[in-house]
Amino acid sequence: MQKFRLATGGDIDRGHPVRFEFNGAPLEGYRGDTLASALLAHGRHLVGRSFKHHRPRGIFSAGAEEPSALVQIARGARTEPNARATVVEVHDGLVARSQNCWPSVRFDLGAINNVVSRLIPAGFYYKTFMWPPTPAAWLRYEHWIRRAAGMGRSATSADPDRYDQRFAHCDVLVVGGGVAGLAAARAAAGGGARVIVCDETPRWGGLARRGASSVPIDGAPRGDWIDTCVDDLAGAADVTMLSRSTAFGYYDGNLVGAVERVTHHLAAPLPPFAPRERLWLIRAKAVVLASGAHERGIAYPDNDRPGTMLLSAARTYVERFGVRPGTRAVVFANHDGAYDDALALRDAGIEIAAVVDPRDDAAMAGVDVRRARDAGLPVHARSLVLRAHGGHRVHAVDVAAREGGKSQRIDCDLVCVAGGWSPAVHLFSQARGTLRYDEAIAAFVPDASPLPIVAAGAANGCFDDALLAADGTAAGEAALALARAASPSPAAVARPPRAPGAAPVEPLWTVPAPYGAKRFVDLQNDVTVDDVALAKREGYQSVEHLKRYTTLGMGTDQGKTSNVPGLALMAAELGTTIPAVGTTTFRPPYTPVTMGAFPGAHTGPHVEPVRRSAMHAWHASQGARFVNAGLWKRPHSYPRTGESEDDAARREAINVRRNVGVVDVSTLGKIELQGRDAAAFLNRVYINRFDSLAVGRCRYGVMLRDDGMVMDDGTTSRLADTHFLVTTTTVNAVRVMQHFEYLLQVAWPTLEVYATSVTEQWSAAAISGPRARDVVAALVDLDVSNAAFPFLAVGACRVRTADGEVRGRLFRMSYSGELAYELHVPTVHGLAAWEAIIAAGAPFGLMPYGTEAMSTLRIEKGHVVVGAEADGRTTADDLGLGKLVNAGKWCVGKPLLGRPALVADDRWQLVGLTAQHGAVMPRGGKLVADPDRAPPIPMQGHITSWCESPHVGAWIGLALLAGGRARHGETLWAVSPLADQRVRVTVGPPAFIDPEGTRLRG
Amino acid sequence: MADIDGIGSTRPGHYGAQGTGVVLARATIGAAWNVQGDPRHAPFVAAAERQVGLAPVAQPNACARREGLLLLWLGPRSWLAIEGERTALTDADVARDALNAAGGALFDVSSSRVAFTLRGAKAADVLASGCPLDVDVRAFAPGTCAQSVFGHLNALIYRHDPATFTLMVATSFAADAWHALSVAAAVDGYDVVPATPFRP
Repeated sequence: MQKFRLATGGDIDRGHPVRFEFNGAPLEGYRGDTLASALLAHGRHLVGRSFKHHRPRGIFSAGAEEPSALVQIARGARTEPNARATVVEVHDGLVARSQNCWPSVRFDLGAINNVVSRLIPAGFYYKTFMWPPTPAAWLRYEHWIRRAAGMGRSATSADPDRYDQRFAHCDVLVVGGGVAGLAAARAAAGGGARVIVCDETPRWGGLARRGASSVPIDGAPRGDWIDTCVDDLAGAADVTMLSRSTAFGYYDGNLVGAVERVTHHLAAPLPPFAPRERLWLIRAKAVVLASGAHERGIAYPDNDRPGTMLLSAARTYVERFGVRPGTRAVVFANHDGAYDDALALRDAGIEIAAVVDPRDDAAMAGVDVRRARDAGLPVHARSLVLRAHGGHRVHAVDVAAREGGKSQRIDCDLVCVAGGWSPAVHLFSQARGTLRYDEAIAAFVPDASPLPIVAAGAANGCFDDALLAADGTAAGEAALALARAASPSPAAVARPPRAPGAAPVEPLWTVPAPYGAKRFVDLQNDVTVDDVALAKREGYQSVEHLKRYTTLGMGTDQGKTSNVPGLALMAAELGTTIPAVGTTTFRPPYTPVTMGAFPGAHTGPHVEPVRRSAMHAWHASQGARFVNAGLWKRPHSYPRTGESEDDAARREAINVRRNVGVVDVSTLGKIELQGRDAAAFLNRVYINRFDSLAVGRCRYGVMLRDDGMVMDDGTTSRLADTHFLVTTTTVNAVRVMQHFEYLLQVAWPTLEVYATSVTEQWSAAAISGPRARDVVAALVDLDVSNAAFPFLAVGACRVRTADGEVRGRLFRMSYSGELAYELHVPTVHGLAAWEAIIAAGAPFGLMPYGTEAMSTLRIEKGHVVVGAEADGRTTADDLGLGKLVNAGKWCVGKPLLGRPALVADDRWQLVGLTAQHGAVMPRGGKLVADPDRAPPIPMQGHITSWCESPHVGAWIGLALLAGGRARHGETLWAVSPLADQRVRVTVGPPAFIDPEGTRLRG
Repeated sequence: MADIDGIGSTRPGHYGAQGTGVVLARATIGAAWNVQGDPRHAPFVAAAERQVGLAPVAQPNACARREGLLLLWLGPRSWLAIEGERTALTDADVARDALNAAGGALFDVSSSRVAFTLRGAKAADVLASGCPLDVDVRAFAPGTCAQSVFGHLNALIYRHDPATFTLMVATSFAADAWHALSVAAAVDGYDVVPATPFRP
């Protein structure tokens, strides 16, 4: 039974009742209601408990600026805290409950905080929880602080909904679909512009969408004007209208972020595949900010009791939702516009017990005030509300004259405050716009921005309903001109149009109060007038300090109704002007945005792109365990049933040394170079020479950074006189390509060299082991005898596969130290070639091997790896590659390579280590002479790579050791302080197998 | 790699919401060549036209077409020639030598990219869900190309007509790209049809 629902009126659909649940109680409303309007229809005002003091709180506003009526909606994976009841649209099945209270909103144990509230003023936690001064004590305090802090509860399972994203472009973006915004959109569209207009509510027309008592627009009744404008826009080809869409942020390059709530208002079952929300990223040539304004309250003692709300909100509940938020109201207002609102309430059947106005009769001569007086509203001029009475609901207020004297108690069940309006300038400020304090309307209005944004309507400080449409039209035309300008110049915002004879607003921020009375400024964070004074006394006087010290404006409402009163109070405390105090920085988002809207579909397994080789499915089918190498997935090993990964890697490595193995090396970077100067270019980027490389041969090369440190290594082949193939490590492929592009475009643009990445073009397999030749011979049409195809030979070939004969390239090079070949085929044939290798290798005991076995093999061989040995701090000489540095030519990094520190004797040099007595090499081990010395123990080196070596029969490692090359045979300790491990190791050369390279060259 | 509701499957059929906002298909590439050189150097332009079949165009994002062959602008000195069936350039080495001699370069990149076609009333919207370019037909004309991103993947995009695009990504990202397109297309419903050779 909706006791407070008006019999007629409102923009709700009375033909469609909806059933929802609040705090476990089933209730009924209508489609078109918000949760707040539906609760008010049932006379429910107690909605939650405040953050700090756990005071009973009700519904303060009718929009996104709501600080008090925060509820937890939905259950399970979809539950959402801090939803504003004034914005949530009711639908069948909506479940909502009060938050921040236990066991119930009516009886909340947290209310003890209100009893001890004198002990917990603003900033109390900076002066408490300090004794005893131990970490253990703090952690115990923190446990309870965590439980007390925060409001609602977040979901603890994955978000089950989809979120969509859309990029959009337009000439003019209009933020706000009220009268001014609609007028601006129509004016811009009329000029032929591509227009997007968005509004955060489900309906167009803004606050002006009200009953018949409102001022007409262009001679038409308000509602008709709005409907016609909407029809015009909806029918225009180049206009996109987005309702339920909040423009939350203004970013570089006139990019505006907006989130569209697609299914929030729908009952289950939702349309399948509909996204819950859609993130719009709108690139506009010009923006019209018609975001309206927020009404302010007035801070008097106990101004937070349920039943206290903004006057315009009360009117919105009456006229838009057909709900009476009370039966007997006291209005506390300081400007003429409030009187029209008061009359509207009276017309809806709410008794107006008093209109309390602090101004002199002389200032109250406007037509609206006279109308109200003539209608019999009891007006108390020069008066203040001194306090409210009530607990779970206001039931009376005390009113007295400004000068003082006896107060009178007036019974009421609704208090409507009207302290003036603050334009919603957030996006303007984010667009680097400056604000100006307009004394006549006691508000900060947009001043100027270097970006093409103009303000319109209430956002522009135009609070006169009669002038909104004209202001909007002018803004739309100005935006259109900005969008069309060849080089847009900053727009100066037009002064807000003012109705002739409008009296200036006399702001009233607070009233005198006895000690201990709570006059709330920020309702959400329980910040009072006394807290502002406290901040000033403690020295936190700048507006940014005021905010952080008191937490004023830091709640989910971001101070929309409290920032200006707060800074005005600080100005009064400091004895300075409001503009001198200024506003805090406005940052996106304007209102909270669901986290899921930002990544969209890039969550879970799709959070990062994944690169797969042509053989990926084959690896997976063989039980490969994958690891990440950059964005690539590479097989770590191929464990068989009953095998651990380590067992598999060991088996695979042994098999390579004994028979033959094949590993997928498609991920290595490959860059082809062509051009007359290609060889000269390679001479400049590598430490060694490549102009001397014959066609049909390849050579290992090392590249340096400009500072002389090793950057990357790889094998480069000469395919023709002016055609080379460069390989790089997997993770540096992109970096090396960028390095080449930079050098060719910027450093040496006169060189005739062309480069392109062919990492994707070629699938590659390395076939390694004593029987590798047998396998390769069975596959390709080349003579691969040692004489015809010696170590480091390169040749084009044809490969026999199930796809037929495919062309490929064969390289004889070895990473493992065994006889080895690399076979490249175009990726489209990659899988077929791999399967052909597997089949050809079967008679020879071929097994696939992964990165773990590959790593074991190369450590045994003493090959350095970028990232481990070449960690950005090592030179070629450190790594034992000093002889490769060609003395006769310049290369990138050569000049700084000669720095004294880089040629010093005691540099850390590459050595091999063998763990003694069968010990396991510690992870991240450091090399010291005596681990039992009192710290600090001089560190002589560190281990860069390590493995259990089947060939050596012990744990081995590669390490960098001070003066290492002269220390072969020494015994040292490898220690890991973190794991408390220590192992004796013997220092030796980095190659543990075949140091002369006989296996490679046979 | 498909999600529980089949989104991301490559099997022909209907997926997503009711109705068909877009038709998705793999467009196979028979051959692709990266041609590089200075378009102001007449011998290079002549050699490219002779070897590849089309003269490189200097206008950014412009394309040249001839029967099944399309030449896309990639940069001031770089173009991509692609065709669905391999017909041009029977001997790559000879062509490369001719280009090198004329001061340019020719690289075989036939396997470097995969291509997907989006066709239908919602093709532009699906593209706009991942690509920050202005996809309005007045800003992105038919017969032109652009390099941008789709989601978190680099993409080369060619517009055939107001309602048809081909999106090309690096081969190793094929599965990711197809999944991203499918998820975007599911909102308005999509059909998957069998792969056919790329046709400009």
